[in-house]
Amino acid sequence: MNRLEKMAWGNIGGVILCVIITGPGIWWMVGNNTKGLVVLIPFLVSGLIGGLISYLKNMKRWAKFDEREQKIAAKARMLSGSVFTIFLWCATFTIFFIVGANNPVPAWLLPALFLSGIFLMVFVQSAVILAQFAKERFND
Amino acid sequence: MTNGRLSNQIRRLRFEKGEMTQQQLADLVGVTRQTIIAMEQGKYAPSLPLAFRIARAFGVPLESVFQYESVSP
Repeated sequence: MNRLEKMAWGNIGGVILCVIITGPGIWWMVGNNTKGLVVLIPFLVSGLIGGLISYLKNMKRWAKFDEREQKIAAKARMLSGSVFTIFLWCATFTIFFIVGANNPVPAWLLPALFLSGIFLMVFVQSAVILAQFAKERFND
Repeated sequence: MTNGRLSNQIRRLRFEKGEMTQQQLADLVGVTRQTIIAMEQGKYAPSLPLAFRIARAFGVPLESVFQYESVSP
């Protein structure tokens, strides 16, 4: 397993960890119809744990990748960015049609959508990297 | 505009250089072994700086390692 694959597995692990840590908090919050700033706490925790640490970790490793690995990672980022955009677009319009134009949208829904999109993006990016190297091994 | 195909003699040069392994070449030029494999199979075209590093590792001119064949559309 090369460094890029290790990074991809690490990112998938980070996403799963974030969901495990913050999922119950969001579940509890929605169940109790929580209002106010406390609504943001699970998302802030998730964002801080997953986003910042993962970003710093990856930036530190980035210089160690060779040019081909960097190209693979760049392609994966581009694809995952498209997935993120499509996901947000679809989710936004789906919610609009479910909730209706004249009804209020719960405040927690927006950060939940955004973080779900980020998690999906990281997951797709990692999956593309792992699939690329698995394909290469299969062809060898 | 014409399309082109980049071929290389890395595999042959490795064996002429005392059976140099892919890993040894990778370490010399600062890439992973998978990148050397991909180049030998013609699946990856290296950047110009990497191409020069490979040529210098073998001690030959760039043209002896990489050949560019123009293909008319």
